Amino acid sequence: MAFPPLLVLVCSDRHRNGKTLLARVLVDFLMLEGRDPFVLDLDFAEGTLRDFFPGRTALVDFAQVAGRMKVFDTILASPGRDYVIDLPSQLLTLFCEAMTDLRFRQAAKTSGFSFVTMFVVDQDRDSLKAAASTEEKLAPDLFIPVNNRFVGSALPEGIGSTVLTMEKIDPDLHVIVTYRRFSFRTFLLGEESGVPLRLRSNLKNFLHTLMDGFREIGPALSLLKLRV
Amino acid sequence: MKPTLILVGADKGGVGKTTVSRALLDFFARKNVLTRAFDTENPRGSLKRFYPTATEIIDLENVAHQMKVLDTLESANVPVTLVDLKAGGLSYALDIFERIGVLEAARSGQFTLGLFHIIGSSIASLDEIGEIARYLTGLEYVIARNFINETNFFEWDETTTRKYFSANQKAHEIDIPKLNEMAYEQVDVAGVTFKDFIENRTSDGQAGRFSFVLRGYVRKWCSEIDVEFGRVKMIQDILSGGRAPGSGLP
Repeated sequence: MAFPPLLVLVCSDRHRNGKTLLARVLVDFLMLEGRDPFVLDLDFAEGTLRDFFPGRTALVDFAQVAGRMKVFDTILASPGRDYVIDLPSQLLTLFCEAMTDLRFRQAAKTSGFSFVTMFVVDQDRDSLKAAASTEEKLAPDLFIPVNNRFVGSALPEGIGSTVLTMEKIDPDLHVIVTYRRFSFRTFLLGEESGVPLRLRSNLKNFLHTLMDGFREIGPALSLLKLRV
Repeated sequence: MKPTLILVGADKGGVGKTTVSRALLDFFARKNVLTRAFDTENPRGSLKRFYPTATEIIDLENVAHQMKVLDTLESANVPVTLVDLKAGGLSYALDIFERIGVLEAARSGQFTLGLFHIIGSSIASLDEIGEIARYLTGLEYVIARNFINETNFFEWDETTTRKYFSANQKAHEIDIPKLNEMAYEQVDVAGVTFKDFIENRTSDGQAGRFSFVLRGYVRKWCSEIDVEFGRVKMIQDILSGGRAPGSGLP
């Protein structure tokens, strides 16, 4: 896909609402598109992304300054590729603060990144407010609210702009895909035997809905360029 | 305008005295105010390491060196002269300045004399304030509470503190904000000014390879310290070139 290097932050004000799952599908999507994403997993205590993307993941303790260096210095030292940051909810405030203090937003822009924030909006209105305030603080090129139907979302239907939808998945399917050897990419490339027949269409529906949403990112970013 | 002589001192070591000197020199550099500095940490001063061209090392007991600082205040054509007094030598240095007539000259208005007194978090620091009170007439006295390396809060008791400060009505109090340890160390290791570090430049003017994150924290710290320095009247005067703000005179 022809758009500039992406810096994608996957975040929410709540935990356990699908952030890491979303990040995984995104990384697999980018790889299927022939891009070369690098993953920064900020869930230092429980991060699992290294298992799914060995060789392209760093597990980072963002509470430490050394961890912040690992994130921001790494990104700026090697621009020209995509980065996906999986941010646990308890670090959202700290992350926004660091972005502002360090003026990272401008530096990322100068280095040629398009900055996209995906925010999983949880069930209640407070989460919606948190989403709005996060958009304001981070001022990304593109802010994409995410509706996870498995969790439920306070996001109003049909709000018009780009929204990502995570369709419900069967609890059995959830167990299968969170097994650390499971790869969405391999599944989409035709290796379906790891998923029982009855669950395959559920998984395909889930993946295609999300990926259709990802495909809108490029055009949305181009439109923004035109506006400037 | 009248030249300004700024003394930076502390009665005990390790309270970040030289850091405050560096911060002041950096502050003036960022505001385009020419400064020169003297380091009394003989024979090897750490201030000289960071400001090799602007800094001279002197021995305050040496009369020739005293003259070098004082007799050139007018002629050097540099608005600000900073003297970093060696650790533990504050009362001693003030005593020397009293004896050779520097304090008197400042009181009579020949130049502006300011004292930045750097204090740490212990009660002993308060006693230092008491010890030097008798020298302070006619000079601008700034108490700088140094948080730069501190993780703990000042353990001063409120009533004790009031007792000391009420004796020095004219004292300005400023806080030197905390700077992240890693950032502080990196600047130290690089041996550059804070300004160069922020701008990612080495001491010989080449492009540096300093961490974006650490540069960001140093920049934030500098903007916090700018606010603190900006509250000191002597510094406001220097920045306005000796004119009262809004006087409209050239």
